[in-house]
Amino acid sequence: MIDIHKQRYKTFIVIFVLFFLLFLYRVASLQLFNNEYEQKAINNALNKITLYPARSVIYDRNHKIIAKNLVMYDLFIFPREIEPKNRDFLCEVLEIDTAKYNDLLLESWIKSKKRQKNNAYNHSALFYSNLTERQYTVIRENLYRLKGFYIEPRTDRSYEIVGGAHAFGYLGEASEDLLKNDPYYQPGDLVGITGIEKYYEPYMRGRKGIRTVWQDRTYRERGVVNDDSFNYPAIAGPDFISSMDLELQQYAEKLLSGKRGSIVAIEPGSGEVLAFVNKPDYNPNDLIGQGRNKEFRKMLIDPKKPLYNRAVKGVYPPGSTVKTVLALIGLQEEVIVPESRKGCGGGYRMGSITVGCHPHGGPLDLEGSIQISCNSYYCALFREIIDNPKYANVQQGYEQLAKHWRSFGLGEPTGIDLLGESGGNIPSVEQLNRRHGPKWRSSMVISLGIGQGEILLTPLQLANVAAILANRGYYYTPHIVKSINGIRDVEWQKKFKTKHYTSIDRIHYETVVAGMSKVMQPGGTAFAASVNDIEICGKTGTAQNPHGKDHSLFIAFAPKENPKIAIAVIVENGGFGATYAAPIATLMIEKYLKHPQTSSKTAMEKRILETVLEF
Amino acid sequence: MDSVAIILFSILVFIGFINVYSVTSDVNQTGFQLSAIATRQLIWIAGSALIILTIAFANVVLVEYLSYYVYGFIILLNILVLFIGKEVAGAKSWFGFGGFGIQPSEFAKIATSMALAKFLGGYGMKFKGWKNISISLALFLIPMVIVLFQNDTGSALVYLSFFLVLYREGLPGYILVISIWIGILSIISIYLNSLNISFGYLYGILLGISSILVYFGRKNRQFVILVLSISIGSSLFSGVVGLAYNKVFKVYQKDRIEIVLGLKEDKRGMGYNLEQSKIAIGAGRIEGRGFMKGSQTKMGFVPEQHTDFIFCTIGEEWGFLGVTFFFGMYLMLLLRLIFLAERQSDVYGRILGYSAASILFFHWFVNIGMTIGLVPVIGIPLPFVSFGGSSLWGFTFLLFVFLRYDQVRKS
Ligand SMILES: [Zn+2]
Repeated sequence: MIDIHKQRYKTFIVIFVLFFLLFLYRVASLQLFNNEYEQKAINNALNKITLYPARSVIYDRNHKIIAKNLVMYDLFIFPREIEPKNRDFLCEVLEIDTAKYNDLLLESWIKSKKRQKNNAYNHSALFYSNLTERQYTVIRENLYRLKGFYIEPRTDRSYEIVGGAHAFGYLGEASEDLLKNDPYYQPGDLVGITGIEKYYEPYMRGRKGIRTVWQDRTYRERGVVNDDSFNYPAIAGPDFISSMDLELQQYAEKLLSGKRGSIVAIEPGSGEVLAFVNKPDYNPNDLIGQGRNKEFRKMLIDPKKPLYNRAVKGVYPPGSTVKTVLALIGLQEEVIVPESRKGCGGGYRMGSITVGCHPHGGPLDLEGSIQISCNSYYCALFREIIDNPKYANVQQGYEQLAKHWRSFGLGEPTGIDLLGESGGNIPSVEQLNRRHGPKWRSSMVISLGIGQGEILLTPLQLANVAAILANRGYYYTPHIVKSINGIRDVEWQKKFKTKHYTSIDRIHYETVVAGMSKVMQPGGTAFAASVNDIEICGKTGTAQNPHGKDHSLFIAFAPKENPKIAIAVIVENGGFGATYAAPIATLMIEKYLKHPQTSSKTAMEKRILETVLEF
Repeated sequence: MDSVAIILFSILVFIGFINVYSVTSDVNQTGFQLSAIATRQLIWIAGSALIILTIAFANVVLVEYLSYYVYGFIILLNILVLFIGKEVAGAKSWFGFGGFGIQPSEFAKIATSMALAKFLGGYGMKFKGWKNISISLALFLIPMVIVLFQNDTGSALVYLSFFLVLYREGLPGYILVISIWIGILSIISIYLNSLNISFGYLYGILLGISSILVYFGRKNRQFVILVLSISIGSSLFSGVVGLAYNKVFKVYQKDRIEIVLGLKEDKRGMGYNLEQSKIAIGAGRIEGRGFMKGSQTKMGFVPEQHTDFIFCTIGEEWGFLGVTFFFGMYLMLLLRLIFLAERQSDVYGRILGYSAASILFFHWFVNIGMTIGLVPVIGIPLPFVSFGGSSLWGFTFLLFVFLRYDQVRKS
């Protein structure tokens, strides 16, 4: 039989070979010329589940728990999986409307997409955080029919004992900025926003763990990946021992409630902060859980400014409290000796200017000037210091004075373990030149001598001055954290365990301390606030306030020998320092040193507790 | 029987088994452990060994004699399945026996090739004249339509491979050329239709080209008529396709076509499967991710990973080297079949050989083309490799009936 189409087999061979080569080329373009698929495959099948560590537990100096962790539940979703029929149920449980539900859904789509840069929506994303007890129960019971949803536990703060809101700080969800700059954080993570929670965030947060599992297309777990580099446990934050004394702290908060101001108490021998109070403040338990954001927004716009940390951010003219420091500088600069007496005729007169003084007897020596808080004495002393013929002109004299002031940690932040601290203001020569022209004279800046004018201090700086006086010449940078368990941080040690000496010789302190002791004795400005059996050294201050009633100030330490506590109290618009600030300080000192149930000065304690200042 | 073909067949079945074994094994599995599916595949392979043994001792002359009866019987089975079959994945083409299923359409191909061979191999038969050509076409278009009724588009399309067989037997080449031109026109029409571009551009271009051709060939009257009729025919055809495309195809079918044509990006629906398939193959790189280590296929991101998409596992776990080896083996089998077919002394044997080669090529073309995104997602198995008894047995029949015929005729 003749086969006239015999040669057609060649066409078959050509077609077969051609298509095999074409397909092989196509496979090569997927496998060899394209390197994104391998990563996509890994992203698909490996699900990295974040294991959240418990945050550091914070204790007070007596090992009472202040802040611990509470397990909370977050609702996560696999956006691809969810079914529209569950929408109404979830809206009802979560108490949100359909629009809000759609918003949340869209957000989690975006988050899920972000987790997997290149394809599909294979990853889970946070849908709703901090379920309430009821929401958690209801959703968990119905989880079997809520396709695509699952619940993950995580921890949030809970406060055993309420107090020290501004020292310990609060947590909030990581901001957009933080998420952008620090890959450690994921949306919904809680981070310290203020206080030591913020300052020690890298320690406090602990370390997240990862559990990597094989995940199939339906997101079913198909076993843990057998590779240790893919799995590591979460490590809880180390225990924090705060230096704060919670009993003292809570007492301070009670004393100051109904008023506006600050109390800072420091252990002079270590720089450890014992109490740190601002009023108005807030209850830290309001800033946890689901209500966090709502409460926070409310506080932000509250005219009482409960979030304002005035102890480190508020600046006040220190008034007469810093006469102590000026006396020390006068002694150091040798313009006076303790026995120097200066007369006072009810005020200090320079031509047309008069700085008034309250009536008191005869020319006073240095101790007496502190006891009585004589303005004339310090106006004269101030002029003597800066007009000292040792220096070429008043500017140089003043610069010398400012140098001494700065050695007390004034004019710059103390460096406490809180962020956003103000440095107050020690006016520079330039600042005075600008203010008064280059040819100013001592009489024009005389108010600086009695702690008024451009000189501004934070309550913390004032407390630190009290600590320096207690220590007779040195201080440790104040700090709220006493130790971090198991952490050896050399930088931290160096910062908070180094003595800083002032530029004043120790011998001069004894004179000033003697004067401060007399303040609490008959004839002293704060005699009324003195407490039996405790030798307190104090100094009152009244800061003129151009916006209203004067601020009431007091600094003190006790006992006189081997002081255990140094304290500064500011009561805004409280009038004379002796009126509110001094009793509050002495009540605090009594509480700390003697731990009485109620003060020996029942009437004074009652008066302070019941006082509500209107402003 | 031809040992080269048998060795190539065995290699392909082995490749199929290890990939089915791998893709159905447990994630953290170590050591040998057969999954239920791999066990069944092993049973199917044992079954096909039995089939081969049976064929090895069968009287092939009797088989040739029985061709029409086999054809008739299988056609009846395929009609029967329309009424009493069970539906699997939308296709009503399965007879269920306990846990196992048999798909009669897989056997219709071999029966069709036998009947076609018998018809064209008849004494004094010439592939000429309307009557003979019509009968030849009817022999494979009838089962094709029946399988279409079973809602198994992929299996139905396979019957188009008989055009290749007919081409070898003398079907004029221009019919193939016209078919290809129709294919190109269809694709262009779908493009224009989906992108809402006026068909006027296509008509304009056709008119322009034909005007130029007519101008240069104006001396030759026949040429002018040919050019004009092709041009007008093409215009009419594309217009009809454009209209018909919207009416005839279902939405999901249009989706598949448009995704392959790059007209639609849908990474979550149909395109999701294709994307996952490409990820699986691409993840293999040169050497592959290793036996049993292809997460993409094992974790079910690729659909039908042990049946129609088994090639993804080859690509992911064995890489470019594995794919090249697999393609090489497959191509050698096809070329060996052409070689064996050409040495047949009678038309019957040759048509059996070409049918086997063409059907295996078509399956390979559609199946692999689908996984790498060159052909719309049409569910047909990869011969010898995909999991499944009917397809393995069907292809075993197809191959070994021819090999046995070749052996007997040679001696
Ligand atoms: Zn006086």
